[in-house]
Amino acid sequence: MEQEQYKTLEQQVTPPTPYLKNAIKAFIVGGIICTIGHAITYFYIIFFDFTEKTVGNPTVSTMIFLSMLLTGFGLYKKLGQFAGAGSAVPVTGFGNAVISAAIEHRTEGVVLGIGGNIFKLAGSVILFGVASAFFVALIKLILVSIGVAQW
Amino acid sequence: MKKITLFFFVPLLLAGCSGNEKTIDVYDVFDDAEKSVEVRDVLNSNEDIYSGTAIFADNDLLVAVQAKPWLDYKKGKIEEELTKQLEDRFSDYNVLVSADYKLYWEANKLINEEDQQKVTDEVKKLKDLEKEET
Repeated sequence: MEQEQYKTLEQQVTPPTPYLKNAIKAFIVGGIICTIGHAITYFYIIFFDFTEKTVGNPTVSTMIFLSMLLTGFGLYKKLGQFAGAGSAVPVTGFGNAVISAAIEHRTEGVVLGIGGNIFKLAGSVILFGVASAFFVALIKLILVSIGVAQW
Repeated sequence: MKKITLFFFVPLLLAGCSGNEKTIDVYDVFDDAEKSVEVRDVLNSNEDIYSGTAIFADNDLLVAVQAKPWLDYKKGKIEEELTKQLEDRFSDYNVLVSADYKLYWEANKLINEEDQQKVTDEVKKLKDLEKEET
């Protein structure tokens, strides 16, 4: 079979990707995750001494803790299959990437297994996050020094 | 099923229509009507907020406001503007204006407080809390 023939055959057989359906699913599930996050934010503001400025840290850690539980029980996988980007983009998806790598490699030992592989998936996120934060801060510092913007 | 969904969604949709009026509360230990009116004037003249609570305690004036939805990004500007206006009118007071939800929530809890000392302490605590960065 020629390569061209195979290509047309493959295109005929493959079902079309339901882009719109996927986007709607991701929108709804991602929205629900963010609503839960917001509810946790208000919980910390109302019942503890956190302001809108300081509440980010406990909220993120709680969300990651919840995603850790879901990953451990094998539920986040199902959510990911259904929602796609809706479950991967929020911070819970980042938690899932870290924890699933740790679970996968735990048989290889604590140091070389878990320690060496825990950031295999999420390492790039941290690297580019830190690097871009540095450059954004640098740009802002320059703008503030010139007098265009304020801290 | 459709009816049940409708039953739950209609009140939610209608709830968005209510509450267009600005709610402004002022707590003053000495019940000075003049000051109260002046604070109300300032808050009423600001178009970017939908609610505000002002508390006079000792030499402190704490004003907690809530920015209108979609105007959250303007919070800093709103705070700056109101601080300037209030400092002009109440030069004897240490004015603190905040659009933070925590301060708004706590200030609204203080509105019905009888114990003056408690209000003064709480305002001091909120001022410290507002300064915290992490």
